[in-house]
Amino acid sequence: MNNYKPKVLIVEDEKGLRIGAQRLLTGEGYEVIVAENGTEGIKLGTESEFDLAIIDLKMLDIDGLEVLQRIREKFPNTVCFIATAFASYETAVEATRLGAHSYIPKPFSPEELLSNLKDGYQRRLINLAAQKFRKEREERLLEVAFEKTRMNTIVNSITDGVLVVNKDGLAVLYNPAVLRFLDLPKISVEEYILDKLHPDIVKFFHKFFDEENQEQKSYSIQLEIKPNREFFIEATASAVRHPGNNVAGVVIVFKDITELKRIELIKSQFVSMVSHELKAPIAAVYGFLKLFNNDSIPLTAAQRKEYENRSMVRLDGLLKMVNDLLDISRMELKSVQKEIKRVCVHEVIASILELFQVEINKKGIIVIFGKDESTQCINADGDEITRLFTNIISNAIKYNREQGTITIKLSLSDDYLLTTIKDTGIGLKPEEKNKLFTEFFRAKNEMTKNISGTGLGLSIVKRIVESYSGKIEFESNYDEGTTFKVFLPVIMSD
Amino acid sequence: MDTKKKILLVDDDLDLLEQNKLLIESKGYEVITANSGKEGFETFKKVKPDACVVDLIMEEHDSGFILCYRIKKDEYGKNIPVFILTSATYDTGFKFGAETAEEKEWIKADAVINKPVIIDEFVKKLEAFFELKK
Repeated sequence: MNNYKPKVLIVEDEKGLRIGAQRLLTGEGYEVIVAENGTEGIKLGTESEFDLAIIDLKMLDIDGLEVLQRIREKFPNTVCFIATAFASYETAVEATRLGAHSYIPKPFSPEELLSNLKDGYQRRLINLAAQKFRKEREERLLEVAFEKTRMNTIVNSITDGVLVVNKDGLAVLYNPAVLRFLDLPKISVEEYILDKLHPDIVKFFHKFFDEENQEQKSYSIQLEIKPNREFFIEATASAVRHPGNNVAGVVIVFKDITELKRIELIKSQFVSMVSHELKAPIAAVYGFLKLFNNDSIPLTAAQRKEYENRSMVRLDGLLKMVNDLLDISRMELKSVQKEIKRVCVHEVIASILELFQVEINKKGIIVIFGKDESTQCINADGDEITRLFTNIISNAIKYNREQGTITIKLSLSDDYLLTTIKDTGIGLKPEEKNKLFTEFFRAKNEMTKNISGTGLGLSIVKRIVESYSGKIEFESNYDEGTTFKVFLPVIMSD
Repeated sequence: MDTKKKILLVDDDLDLLEQNKLLIESKGYEVITANSGKEGFETFKKVKPDACVVDLIMEEHDSGFILCYRIKKDEYGKNIPVFILTSATYDTGFKFGAETAEEKEWIKADAVINKPVIIDEFVKKLEAFFELKK
């Protein structure tokens, strides 16, 4: 019996029998606890679990059958024997009904007792094993059921549409999102669904069941569900295979790609715009060169010189535009390595104004800027900050009127360094305001037709400001001027 | 040619405007220029040209269309040829040109001239219209 000693409870009010049995069983390797009467028997037998119990039927205080019942109630796997000298058919039936394993008629021989206990202990082991299996099986069933609801919950939570169609074209599994993609109010389980799908998707469906078709791949298609790019979907169909590789059904996943398509359109419009903007200066220079080569159009020396200069201006502009585009693309890719240093904005602005001195004087513009107005500095990349304010100040000069003014102020606004740049230029018409930071937007009117520019300057400004988690605001009145407010976060260094 | 025919040339690119002016002048026409859609229409009303050549993309992407449409709606303008001048055809991705029948119907331009202008072809087309009117 290995090292484990089976625990036996003896409930017997006859002292001699009790002690005799205890001695016999202890000697045979059992762990034996004895109870002198029924009350003690119930107490011991329900306090801890015994492998086996031998219960005397007739005791002075409590009937053995009651002891049996109480123990079995608490520990149904305790194998119980009823010992009695008054064996009768009725008590035997009753004892069995109450869960007694068997009946030991008194008096019994040691061999008889031992063989009964051995048999009883085997029964207990079998019962325990069976119970364990039963429990495991129940747990597994529970787990399966749980998995199934979990699966359903997950499928139902997916924003993409999921639809599984069996080989007969019936919808066997789907999630609520599918309804939106198919524009159906509802689908019933096992409803014939093929006639509700786009013909191209149905074509995919049939491909999977085509014996000739050995390709094991998914098929995808993009469909415009609502016109004018309002609702674009991508449907991907894949085979659901049996373990034997036969196709059991098809799972179709629907994805909303409206946003993607919108970005695609913006991108292609941007490319068109870039090509057009690049083409214009090339066409101009090309035109001048053709004029130089056209013998039927005589040009004066002065005309020739002028056209050469104008060609140079266009080529300069072209070069600037290409550089701006490269900058934008670098910023977009976030491949710009910022060299963060202490940058004092008032110094940056002072040096920009110095660079533009010729242009400023030419137009007779008055610049109001107190050099010592604020010595506030920020942590930033010096080149980027220079670029930022160069673009704004250059606009303030270019679009200003003759004898106009530019007012630049620095101040602190919460955790931001606020730079205000006010000009007395042409300003923006209300309808132009929301396009200000758009690539290639340039205010085009009678006043601006002779002003050159790439249309990329403010787009770059906005990107730089935003890369520092700053913000840019502007106020503008047509024919009066524009005020830019640049907020750059001040990081106080200790 | 007894008196020179007047051509109104509208383009917001001042360099191209001047180049095409010289080219067309070299073929014996008088060229009046304007450099926006708005100015173009004002000049058209003032000078009553014999033909107009209008750049497509000016202040706005469709300024040329609008100008062309306005000239063609005009009592005088509907009898003169209006050419659209453009480099923005389908190959640049812009979804407007004057290539499909509907577009031509709407714009009512008599021809589309691609940039850069090949002057001999241009003159040939122009003269064909003048011949037709005789």
